Amino acid sequence: MVLELQKPRPIWQIMFSTHHTDVGLLYLITSLAFMFMGGALALLLRVELFSPGVQLIADSMTYNRIFTVHGTTLIFLFILPSASAFGNYLVPIMVRFKDMAYPKLNAVAFWMIPPAGALIWLGFADFTWYAYPTYSVVSAPGPAADMWIFGLKILGVSSILGSINFVVTIMKCKHPDLPLSKMPLLAWAYLTSSLITLVAVPTFAAALLMLLTDRLGASGFFNPAMGGDPIAYQHLFWFTFHPEVYILVIPAIGFMYEIFPRFSRKPIFSHGSGVAAFTLLTIVGFASWAHHMYATGMSFTEKTVFMVGTLAAVPASAMHTFNFLATMWGGRIKFATPIMWAVGGIALFFSAGAGGVVNSAMPLDFITHDSYWVVGHFHLFVMGTILFGTVGFVYYFFPYVTGRMYSEVLGKVHFILSFVGTVLVFFTQHILGLFGMPRRIYDYPAIPEWVQMNIIISIGAFIIGIGMAIFLWNLIWSSAKGKPADMDDPFGLGGKYYFPYQAKNPSH
Amino acid sequence: MKLIIGLGVILGLIAVLPAAEQVFAAGSEVGEYLDRKAAIWGLFYRLMIIAFTVGTVVSGLIVWLVLRFRESNPKAKPTSYEASGSW
Repeated sequence: MVLELQKPRPIWQIMFSTHHTDVGLLYLITSLAFMFMGGALALLLRVELFSPGVQLIADSMTYNRIFTVHGTTLIFLFILPSASAFGNYLVPIMVRFKDMAYPKLNAVAFWMIPPAGALIWLGFADFTWYAYPTYSVVSAPGPAADMWIFGLKILGVSSILGSINFVVTIMKCKHPDLPLSKMPLLAWAYLTSSLITLVAVPTFAAALLMLLTDRLGASGFFNPAMGGDPIAYQHLFWFTFHPEVYILVIPAIGFMYEIFPRFSRKPIFSHGSGVAAFTLLTIVGFASWAHHMYATGMSFTEKTVFMVGTLAAVPASAMHTFNFLATMWGGRIKFATPIMWAVGGIALFFSAGAGGVVNSAMPLDFITHDSYWVVGHFHLFVMGTILFGTVGFVYYFFPYVTGRMYSEVLGKVHFILSFVGTVLVFFTQHILGLFGMPRRIYDYPAIPEWVQMNIIISIGAFIIGIGMAIFLWNLIWSSAKGKPADMDDPFGLGGKYYFPYQAKNPSH
Repeated sequence: MKLIIGLGVILGLIAVLPAAEQVFAAGSEVGEYLDRKAAIWGLFYRLMIIAFTVGTVVSGLIVWLVLRFRESNPKAKPTSYEASGSW
């Protein structure tokens, strides 16, 4: 498909290219680099929380800075760009067009990410990835907070430009012989998640601008001392970031729609239900933002509406899960590394979804609100579903990019360590939340249950860390020394893939 | 397959109904003393029972699918699509 690395080229040729596979490669390398950086910060946090008292991080401000940059990095600089990476590679090929609709805009969207990442990492803000007022307006120290705001602003513009490109490529550049009803589900995933981005992200862009002018003292939108309302920021924030959950998860589900049929050696069970589920998620994603805010004093009616809106996502998620299981049913499944990650991903997707139903039930939300339950739920979703889908697809895509095979043994060891670690960390965090431990704290009293569970969580995090170190080694070593892949059938599944690698689009 | 779809619908309803019941019940309690903490934890445990039951069914199904349809299973046979070479 895209053997960028097989014919060595000067790096500047790739960096200044506007070809969709080159831009995809840049997205992929950048996002994986940020994944390892953000993951390393998570390990620092877990060292600190291993037991009560100071372990590694001297003060709460530093701790807050680390977890702010950890969250911001992994959401905005890893998950979103990694989805764009594979979209750039595959969407033009899937819709049978020579490139993305706007190649230069595509390259511009990518090149906004490194400076935004630099702003976020050099500033190291401390107000969490939510940046809630009033702290973010009144007390958060600059210039770190302002650099974070500018960084996020740039990333927002990058996301919007990328989404416009995906939508136009799919809707306007699709081959006339290819109806939408026959378009691969991964392309559908990019279409729907891009539409969500276009509707949701501008709201946060406006909120960031208001936050910045509030910080400068020019306005008081969210500053109570100037007649503003901090809760208004939360509405604007969650109007973007609950749909953002679907922006993040839909491509990961799309990756699974590639992996399951391929390794089960049969077509997807129901293309139509996959399309319907993506469309449903796109719509109901906007009906649930305020379920993050039950504790802010909303009326009973408002809470009920958002609870029902949240539960409306359950049938769509169940349709995807059912589709995956029904595709495996009756297949002859080759359990190579990519499908192991995908199967692990749907098991954890279900668990995360079950926890989400509990959160969305408003009486129960008051038990779990701002506790470690929420940390466990959110991370189980982001890591257990999105990262599992993405990493599985990285393995799946590896031979197509490098022309070499990764180490299957190391890939499986990576999966086992990550699955065990994920269960240890995030299931335990749910229980820890029920035992009353609040989130976003850098130290805690020596309550025996809290101490025991924090030790388990930290050990789980270290297990994940070991798995990720193996992953990094596997990527680097196999890119250089891995066994040359059979490009017609790298996984030995038999049959031809529906878009052969020879379909590489010509360079500009 | 119809049996599985039916089972899925029933399990979905079982999961949603207790939450809906709680919502509508909460609106009709005028002047009635309610130990909210006990009621909320009671609802939590009920939902957990449902979640674990459904979770066990889904996880069990995943494990069974993995074991039954893996290519190394003695009962595994080529799918009808393998002969044509494309799927």
